[in-house]
Amino acid sequence: MLTILNDIFARRTLIWQLVLKNLKLRYYRPALGFFWAVLGPFLFVSILYVVFSLILKVQSEHVPFFLYLMSAVFSWNFFQESLSASTTSLLDNRNLVKEASFPHYLLPISIAFANLLNFLPALAIIIVTSFVLLKGLPLFIIFLPAVLCLHLMITIGLSVMFSVFYVKHRDIKYILDAALMFLFYLTPVFYPLRLARDSFPAFLFRLYSLNPFVGILNLYRVTLLKGFFATIRDYIGPLSLMVMPIGFAVAVILAGFYCYARQRTTINDYLSY
Amino acid sequence: MQDKEQLLTTTSLIEKGSSSTAKDVAVRLVGVKKKYPLPSKADPSFAGFWALDEITLDIGQGEVAGIIGRNGSGKTTLLNIIAGVLSPTQGEISLKGKVLGLFNLGVGFQDELSGRENIFLNGSILGATRQELEAKFPGIVEFSELGDFINMPLGTYSQGMRLRLAFAIVANLEFDVLVIDEVLAVGDALFQNKCFQRLMDFRRAGKTLILTTQSIELAERLCDKVFLLDHGRLLFSGEPAQAANRYRAILDSETFFVGPAKKAISLVSNTKKWADDLANWGKKLGAKEVMIDAVEMRNRFGMRCHKIKSQESLRIKVKFSARDEVKEPHFGVAIFRDDGVYCYGPNTEFDGREIPGLKKGKGWFELRLKRALLAPGVYRISVAIWDKNEAIAFDYHAGYYELTIKGSKGTNALLNMPFKFAPEGFKCTPDLTLLENKWEQRSEAKVINIDSIKLLNRLGEEKNTFMTNEPVKLSINFSPLNGCNKDPYLWVGIYRDDGIYCQGITTLLGENKDFSIFFPKLPLLPGDYRVSVGIWDNLLKEFLVYEHGIYAFKMLFDRQDHGTIYLEHKWRWNFKI
Repeated sequence: MLTILNDIFARRTLIWQLVLKNLKLRYYRPALGFFWAVLGPFLFVSILYVVFSLILKVQSEHVPFFLYLMSAVFSWNFFQESLSASTTSLLDNRNLVKEASFPHYLLPISIAFANLLNFLPALAIIIVTSFVLLKGLPLFIIFLPAVLCLHLMITIGLSVMFSVFYVKHRDIKYILDAALMFLFYLTPVFYPLRLARDSFPAFLFRLYSLNPFVGILNLYRVTLLKGFFATIRDYIGPLSLMVMPIGFAVAVILAGFYCYARQRTTINDYLSY
Repeated sequence: MQDKEQLLTTTSLIEKGSSSTAKDVAVRLVGVKKKYPLPSKADPSFAGFWALDEITLDIGQGEVAGIIGRNGSGKTTLLNIIAGVLSPTQGEISLKGKVLGLFNLGVGFQDELSGRENIFLNGSILGATRQELEAKFPGIVEFSELGDFINMPLGTYSQGMRLRLAFAIVANLEFDVLVIDEVLAVGDALFQNKCFQRLMDFRRAGKTLILTTQSIELAERLCDKVFLLDHGRLLFSGEPAQAANRYRAILDSETFFVGPAKKAISLVSNTKKWADDLANWGKKLGAKEVMIDAVEMRNRFGMRCHKIKSQESLRIKVKFSARDEVKEPHFGVAIFRDDGVYCYGPNTEFDGREIPGLKKGKGWFELRLKRALLAPGVYRISVAIWDKNEAIAFDYHAGYYELTIKGSKGTNALLNMPFKFAPEGFKCTPDLTLLENKWEQRSEAKVINIDSIKLLNRLGEEKNTFMTNEPVKLSINFSPLNGCNKDPYLWVGIYRDDGIYCQGITTLLGENKDFSIFFPKLPLLPGDYRVSVGIWDNLLKEFLVYEHGIYAFKMLFDRQDHGTIYLEHKWRWNFKI
């Protein structure tokens, strides 16, 4: 693990260049450029808002629904986009991979970082909105970098794992798309946690709340939205809020790099077709 | 991570091996095998194959190693394994130092990004740091000759520009071992030579170079050691010349494959008739291991000159200095008319003069032409010192020197071959512009008729194929129709079949019905030629009758040569061997 960290540090120029390439390819030509990094998710939030708040009348506790949506959709977007782009990244960038021997995992990592950079302005908007609407920020905001770090770890771990798998098993991409969709509904992005608790039997809800993405999403809200922690304190414990996400992050990172280490020597053989 | 592992195994292996080999080993492969995995849906009857089978080889530090072999013999796989892009299925590889690879045309290029951005992306993939790239950036741009294009998206680049950029990046980065896969074939001659120069610099700097190539000549000339692969196996490793011979043997054994650079055993039926590249005229090209210092032309009195009379002797002396020791060079001189028509281009290789090698130092060679059988006009002379098979020029001055042949002008003929008339006659100059657009046409006979045109060999047999330098008699028969009394002239023109006017012969026809022109040695080089005949009325200034470019004949030669006409010559030289 240390050698991997060492490698990542040693190749930081390459990671930065890959991040730059990723962002440039995305925003160089569109007239609105980097503005799309905010605009895209914003449109999505608006749609969700119209559907769920205005038509289906879903209510969020304590915080305005639009803000509630934003705090989840933007981070979810970061995760989903990183993961789906990373999964195919080794094949998409096969021309780069075949040029020289460099650790393949730098590609998913660079994609995760690019999407993180993409996510930061949106995050700033959430913080400002939250500050204005809720008249202040929670003390927990000091943990925001830690939450981001945790989320990044989960993203990188899964990305490395799937990118390696995808080289040999091309079904992964479709399975992943379906799984992400499922996960999107399984995490309280556009409904309040209480709604889930009320509609599920108790043991199912416990199971549900063990989902590390429930934890990470709520961590975002706790650190961003003033007074949010109080509203969920009663039905979600430290197990699902802290232990699960952290444990999951460590597990996927280890699993991801373990998979890579096992497949490393044969990956390039599969990249030609 | 990978590099470190490799380095570790390298040091241990090399320590073991150091007792037996004096030179440091840069790359060592032991029993390397490679099998590519098959797609799961592949044809089950296809059993798969070993792309590489038990390859064991050593490449010493500072060596230039060539890998040759047919398509699909495993060259690229081997290079990929050395560059660390692929891993062997079995066997061990150990490398010393940093390996850079140049595969395809900068495969990692992004069309949407500019040349500048691609330099940074590509360079960092190849392991350079930001500081290093910033320091090297001006050098890369300069070497690539891209100029302002460096800020344009790569999608706007031509293949050649991509190659230049790709090579420039690799050539400017730090490395110990450089691996190049057949890419240099794409560049133009000028850039290719620049690349070879750079490769030579690397060699001098003690870097290890490994390249694959289809060009046996290149492998022979550049490499210290050549590996011959066939069907994934290492057939031979060692001396370039021996490897090249074995490779030629493989190529010859394949029935459908026409091997390059086959020596002419059969008769040559055509030679080069035009300059290859007029755009390079006036340029000095070459890898510059040997430099041409001066070229002097001397007339029959041994005086330096730029003008001689037609059919006079001419000596072209080339002084050079070798900056490096070179193996098996050959010298060449070529004469072109200034529109690019190839007159003659002898070289020592065609003449079977073997030059074992040049040592460092100065020397000269001289081409002595006995008679310059060229028509008056302006000519261009190229001089070159090539490697054995003309794959690379050490130094090549293309169309650099001007030579004027003095004499009465008037026609745009190319040659001035000696001949004899049966009946002697007066001369005049028919207006050949009248024959423009009349190629392969004949006029209707009004006053006089051309009955026959014949070419005869020395036994008097009619032939239409002759050997270069064979005695040839051209015989023409006429029958005068009514009232022919205007003292007509006979004009005979010899043309190349691409319409280049080689030589015209005119004489007073008088009362003759038969006419013959005798060439004691027809010096035309292999190819197709035509004979035109016309009867010219010098008072009316028109052709009474003509037959233009219809009668065809062919020249053959028992040896390779370049150009249109064979000029008797000798070589002289003086240098350290």
